[in-house]
Amino acid sequence: MQGFALYPFDPPGDIAALRTDLRDWLAANQPQSDVVARANCWASFDASFSRALGAAGYVGMTLPTQYGGSDRHPLERYVVIEELLAAGAPVGAHWIADRQTGPLILRYGSEEQRQRYLPGIAAGELYACIGLSEPGAGSDLAAVRTTARETAEGWRINGQKIWTTGAHFSHIMLALVRTEEGSERNAGLSQLLIDLDTPGITIRPIIDMAGHHDFNEVFFDDVLVPHGALVGERGQGWKQVTAELGLERSGPERYLSSHALLVALIDAAGPEPDPAITTLIGELTAEIWTLRQLSMSTAAKLAAGEDPMVEASVVKELGNAFEQDMPRRVQAIVTSGWDDENDLAKLLRALLIASPSFSLRGGTREVIRGIIARGLGLR
Amino acid sequence: MSAARDMLCDTARAVFAEAATAGIAPVEEAGFGLLLVPEENNGFGGDWGDVNAVLQIAGVIVPDLPVAELIAGEAFQPAATVSLMAGAMGRALSLSIDHVNTRQQFGRPLGKFQAVQQSLAAMACEVRAVEAAAAALASRLDAVGLDAAAADFEIAAAKLRANRAVGVVTAIAHQVHGAIGFTEEYDLHRVTVPLMRWRGAHGNDAFWAARLGRQVAGFGGRGLWEAMTARGA
Ligand SMILES: Cc1cc2nc3c(=O)[nH]c(=O)nc-3n(C[C@H](O)[C@H](O)[C@H](O)COP(=O)(O)OP(=O)(O)OC[C@H]3O[C@@H](n4cnc5c(N)ncnc54)[C@H](O)[C@@H]3O)c2cc1C
Repeated sequence: MQGFALYPFDPPGDIAALRTDLRDWLAANQPQSDVVARANCWASFDASFSRALGAAGYVGMTLPTQYGGSDRHPLERYVVIEELLAAGAPVGAHWIADRQTGPLILRYGSEEQRQRYLPGIAAGELYACIGLSEPGAGSDLAAVRTTARETAEGWRINGQKIWTTGAHFSHIMLALVRTEEGSERNAGLSQLLIDLDTPGITIRPIIDMAGHHDFNEVFFDDVLVPHGALVGERGQGWKQVTAELGLERSGPERYLSSHALLVALIDAAGPEPDPAITTLIGELTAEIWTLRQLSMSTAAKLAAGEDPMVEASVVKELGNAFEQDMPRRVQAIVTSGWDDENDLAKLLRALLIASPSFSLRGGTREVIRGIIARGLGLR
Repeated sequence: MSAARDMLCDTARAVFAEAATAGIAPVEEAGFGLLLVPEENNGFGGDWGDVNAVLQIAGVIVPDLPVAELIAGEAFQPAATVSLMAGAMGRALSLSIDHVNTRQQFGRPLGKFQAVQQSLAAMACEVRAVEAAAAALASRLDAVGLDAAAADFEIAAAKLRANRAVGVVTAIAHQVHGAIGFTEEYDLHRVTVPLMRWRGAHGNDAFWAARLGRQVAGFGGRGLWEAMTARGA
């Protein structure tokens, strides 16, 4: 496969010390939350944890110090992220802001936007959400219809976003909107940074099948935001969003978000499990070990300034499949009632219900495979 | 890749191409048996990264010749097999891509059909996973000074992962090739049959899963993560 070189994961600095410090910090600061909150943990919201993590310098790590960041290497950030996920830390509140909105503002935002938003993001206090999907634009993102018209006072926004994770607790939304009247498909789109307390915005909860309120519909009814809300170049929204999706797809969260289940399985099995469980543990370990290599190599490529769109998609596809497989395979082998209250049973139930979303959020399996097929020269 | 390794790979490609018709002799004569022998003993002084690169090429061109046995000792055969498998899977993928880009049905190349694209994407993911496993195993072996016992975790994980990829890769490769891929004259079986053989050689899925599972059960839940991070990066 041409251009599919493996990049060595070679972060600068003392990585072992970084891990030890963070593990110590987590031991002292991680809330003793319910075991279920440790699974799918980038959806677990805990504002005081996010603030403490920010104060300790583990949020916005790659942002320059002048904006409150700590100017660390992206691969140092990677190490921190995988430690947080492996520990099941409740990183959901600041997750999107740290992972994609912050880096995007740094890259494309104006100086004013950087000064205004980045310090809050790095402090783990300012949360963001992603306004891409619309009722008529899911997989077909270029069908976005929400409009922003430039007027003398600023941008006037009308339309609707949907499935917006965390809109109900976020301060800002980075939205993809149609700024050129009559434009079609991926032309004429721009990104706007919208303060969610602006008048005319209505956020309605959508309750998911687990009974949780994670995502929302967001309505824009003649919402007026300043001219300065435009991020990057007018009309370049599509290009910017694509770059953002690269950040979204290859991280360790694509295979470590349900790590708590594997931990619980191993702990429940004890040091000498029966042969069938031993086999399952071995199989899952081979998968997670390999996924980690793939994800690290992709992170290294990203850190080297290249665009690993295809590699990131490979990580997402295999990671999603692994995380969807794991609860099914554990359930197939472990004797456990649906309503049992031990850790393993609770985790199993929660992840079985959550897992269909893994291959939807961040791009569906079919879309992701389409990107890989393009990388193979088939499209 | 280093310039030295590039040169090594160029040589391997040329020598293996000759060996494809002439048998193992050209590989022996070219000195590949000395790849891991230190320079002070008049060897090539290569590391496992070199072996991995050479064996992947062997997996593409001469999957039936005993190149792995020539280069590395018994304890390293499971690791060597992962490299061969990565190469052979890469070959199955490139044959498949070439085929679907040329073979026309319903008035267009097969590769233009979404169902075919999706299958090949799934296959590519598996190939990529095995390449990554082979590379990570190589760097672990190099880090521990080619001590197979110190890389037992990685050998088990990589061989098991490669074994599990065989089913997907061979099934999809043959599916998209249709009947032509099932013939003796066409090249696909030259890599798919060895892949099926290697899946059971030097430890099948059950063997490595049990071996890895026992190690991990000993680590404990949290211990697995600590062990993985302590063993590299
Ligand atoms: C938990 C969760 C969190 C989310 N958070 C956010 C968020 O924060 N912000 C945001 O903007 N969005 C978010 N999303 C939305 C997500 O990005 C969309 O669900 C996704 O893009 C799919 O769109 P859709 O739901 O409209 O499905 P559809 O586009 O209707 O697709 C339905 C099915 O058809 C398949 N399909 C569609 N078109 C094709 C085609 N051409 N070829 C083959 N198959 C096709 C799809 O792959 C999918 O399997 C979230 C989704 C979930 C589940």
